[in-house]
Amino acid sequence: MKKNKTMVEIWQDVVEIKDLIRSIILSFIFTFGVYLFVSPNNKAKELFFGLVGAVMGFVITNVFIKPKRIIIFDKNKIKE
Amino acid sequence: MINSIMDTLVLLQMFLAAIGAVIIYTIIGFIPGTDETSVLMPITLTVVLAGVEPIVVLTFFISAIVTLNLTNGIPTVLVGLPGGVMSSPMLEHSLFLKSMGLSALAIKKLTVGSLIGTVISIPVSLILARILIPFGESLQRLAPLLFFIGAIFLSLIGKNKLLSLFSILPMSILFMGLRHLYWGIGIVPRDTSITTSFFLGITVGPLIVSLFTLLNKKNLESMIVEGKKKIYIPRDKLASKKINPFKILTGDEIKKASIPVFISNFLFVLSPVGLTILLGEAVATREKDPTRKANIAIVTMAAIVQATYLSGIIIPLIALGIPLSPTAIGPGSALFNAPPIFTIDNNMHHMLNTWEFILAIITGAIIAISITYYIANKFANKISTFVLKRISHESIIGLFISLVLLLSYMDAGLINIIGVLLIGITCGTLNKLGVNYGVQFMTLYAAPWIVDKLALF
Repeated sequence: MKKNKTMVEIWQDVVEIKDLIRSIILSFIFTFGVYLFVSPNNKAKELFFGLVGAVMGFVITNVFIKPKRIIIFDKNKIKE
Repeated sequence: MINSIMDTLVLLQMFLAAIGAVIIYTIIGFIPGTDETSVLMPITLTVVLAGVEPIVVLTFFISAIVTLNLTNGIPTVLVGLPGGVMSSPMLEHSLFLKSMGLSALAIKKLTVGSLIGTVISIPVSLILARILIPFGESLQRLAPLLFFIGAIFLSLIGKNKLLSLFSILPMSILFMGLRHLYWGIGIVPRDTSITTSFFLGITVGPLIVSLFTLLNKKNLESMIVEGKKKIYIPRDKLASKKINPFKILTGDEIKKASIPVFISNFLFVLSPVGLTILLGEAVATREKDPTRKANIAIVTMAAIVQATYLSGIIIPLIALGIPLSPTAIGPGSALFNAPPIFTIDNNMHHMLNTWEFILAIITGAIIAISITYYIANKFANKISTFVLKRISHESIIGLFISLVLLLSYMDAGLINIIGVLLIGITCGTLNKLGVNYGVQFMTLYAAPWIVDKLALF
């Protein structure tokens, strides 16, 4: 990947714009894919399948798109 | 015989629903920045529309709010990122305790605070609901007017009074304008009013506005940040293993947290986050020692958060039958209005009797608070680390946007996706200017009445 990644803070956390666009597109495809092509004709079940699709999209985007956070473990001793 | 088998089946379903809510909302709670309404409402709506018994739905919902309200506090205390709107008042005190290396203890105090809030608030709300029942029916008849008064009331107690007042009428024209458009082109039958997706449009408004801002090159440049976000997680190897609530809190802390919890039940029509700040800070400022002050603030606020949500849903649900509190009209709106299962005239209030309400509320709350209390005390660090390392913010935003698009499409097709986008841009802009969600939700419910009256002149 190129070095010039544009990162912005949105909704209180840092995201990379390209990844954000990818993630929105992926989630959209999964949600509507499952909703339109798999679900039967019944409102409750439609919503259920849509949610399943959304969750699938969520899991898949998490495989491809890593969080932009650096986790540092504090060595501070904890007082009680 | 058949009846008792049915009863056992329903009890089993209630139990499973409560556990399910704990699992889902523990994960969501640990994710920083997830707004309560946008995570509670769509999932509850799915449960309602799935045709589950109302008593099971209520168990699910109560378990969900108790779990979410506790787990939202954990990322706030541990890493300084509020888990949701309701935990943002604790941020300052959390950061102070974190800088003193006291996060592990603060999490324990937070969990006990939640426990206190739940234990006090349920009986008090049930009694209050019981007292208010006789007034319920006459209030229901006044519902449309009450939503209008509610919108004005929430404007007047908010920070930006005039701005909020001025925004009520234009917003109601926007909502009704879209509804009439859909009726006019025949995509929605005349007797159906779209509410769910409009509601979500309001909720994701600020996010939509932020995303649109990125499309402006000048604005984009000002939003760019250098490097990733650094998050410090304290090691808590030395924290003690005790989980007995009476050993974690001092008697003084229990007393100081209990009083505002009791009071907040009576104020169920006020904004939960507002009450948390107001009552929580009122208790905390009396303390001189900074560490004790921060501790008291965490305990009290955690307790009030539970109390405002529980009273805000229990009292309108049992006594009124109309969503006349910020909690009921926001996160809990699916219990009042989720056509075709629940409508404003025939919802959970009309379908369950008092004992069923009590059974569902107590089952949901006990299961939720006991499991989350244990998890929070034992695994707070592990779960936080996992969530922050594995769950990307991009995927959360993607998930929210897809959900809103899906529900908009289901309500009235492609044109409604654009309609909801319009609501998102308008209400999100108003939100950024300072009109809070409560005023906007109330206006959505008051809109038909407002437009009827406007048309008279």
